Amino acid sequence: MSVKYIPVQWNPNKWIYDAVMLAGVALFLWVFLYVTPEVLSHERAINPQIHNARAFGACAFVMLTVILCIGPAARLDKRFLPLLYNRRHFGVMTAFVALTHAGYILNWYFAFSSRDKLVGLLSANTSFGQVAGFPFEVFGIFALICLLILAATSHDFWLKFLTPPIWKRLHYLIYAAYFSVAAHVSLGILQDQKNHVFTVLFMLGAGAVIVLHIAAWLSERRETAAKDGAWAEVANVGDFREGYAKIAKLANGERVAVYLMEGKLSAISNACAHQNGPLGEGKVIDCLVTCPWHGFQYDVRSGRSPAPFTEKVPTYRVRIKGDMVEVHPDANPPGTYVEPVPLPEPEPEPDTPEEGATA
Amino acid sequence: MDVATALVMAMQTWGIVGALVAAVFLTIGIDRIDEDVRGAYIFRPLLIPGVLLIWPLVLWRWWQIETERAAWADRYRPVRASYGLAVVLMSLGIIAVVIAGLSVRQSWPADIAPVQLSEGAGQ
Repeated sequence: MSVKYIPVQWNPNKWIYDAVMLAGVALFLWVFLYVTPEVLSHERAINPQIHNARAFGACAFVMLTVILCIGPAARLDKRFLPLLYNRRHFGVMTAFVALTHAGYILNWYFAFSSRDKLVGLLSANTSFGQVAGFPFEVFGIFALICLLILAATSHDFWLKFLTPPIWKRLHYLIYAAYFSVAAHVSLGILQDQKNHVFTVLFMLGAGAVIVLHIAAWLSERRETAAKDGAWAEVANVGDFREGYAKIAKLANGERVAVYLMEGKLSAISNACAHQNGPLGEGKVIDCLVTCPWHGFQYDVRSGRSPAPFTEKVPTYRVRIKGDMVEVHPDANPPGTYVEPVPLPEPEPEPDTPEEGATA
Repeated sequence: MDVATALVMAMQTWGIVGALVAAVFLTIGIDRIDEDVRGAYIFRPLLIPGVLLIWPLVLWRWWQIETERAAWADRYRPVRASYGLAVVLMSLGIIAVVIAGLSVRQSWPADIAPVQLSEGAGQ
């Protein structure tokens, strides 16, 4: 038994996040359509459908760019973490905006085709052997399919059903989608620019995504390179605070949360069984750590949720070597009890004369 | 039949099979493989688009769970090792396609004076 699935687990933060996001989309569309036509060189859009298609297409690109910047930014600087926690609503909204863009295109350029609209779209340009005039629509179609798959599999159920590794691999489609969007723009609208503002904005957005991701990847590589032994170092004994965890990153990429509870150390996976929330950011109360994302709880000694819940996460062995707390990278099966390791008694402070005292 | 018509037919067939899989999975299968689903019905329509799109994966996972073939540790195997490869490929691809796109861009002939190619009908 666990928490029953519901369509959306709303909370005040999500309402605020979604309200800001929707206001941002509305603002972008308004600015694009009515404020900056001459700046973005669409002051002479042929008709409202094409104008709207461009607005929604540009909006989808900007949203996708922001989504892709949030992840590495949060890894490089924890102040961006609040943006990460509700990113999937952002993703679903992006898929709808991209779908609207495709709808405008399909229902204008192919509305009067004697054939099926989709057949018309796929057969209108088949010059695949050349760069100039390449049928850039295929990149847009591919990106849209990727975005729809990511949006359609964003519910909690999919993460549990597919398992996090498969779900994560599936969601790596976001990188293929972004490349595809870049190709769609480069070989499409960029070919028809009369001024360079849009080109520059597009390159800045794509450049930000590239720079942030490469920086986050290099940062992670530096972190893990130093931890390539059997036992991984976590932190010094003195760095632990009662009731809180230190998070260690293993050479294989897994994260482990090591808690200090009642003077003893216990280690469990940092990924919550519910939605991979960061358990190491939760506080321990009565042996139970609470996931900061959705409130799932686990006994840090066994990785088990309290009855009647049945969630389990893997546990890890801990040891203290000298002044360093270490964790073994081989995970125990989820729910395996591990005896907590007591911290060494602090050495008594040598007697020092009181400040101001004289011999 | 041309390629475009065949592709659209393939998409339609994919969707029809997906709809059948969704009908069976969301009414029978899902209750068998996840106890959290039992008694929860309102969220199920949200899963229909996902099943339509990735039904082969749904069938494979359903079979895996029913037959208990997946090792417990698989669930906890991190995939971050692929992150670097994905990011580098994406970055190189974007740089290449932007350069290719800009290199074939034709300049707008705004500075060319208009030339009348044929006599007007009224002349």
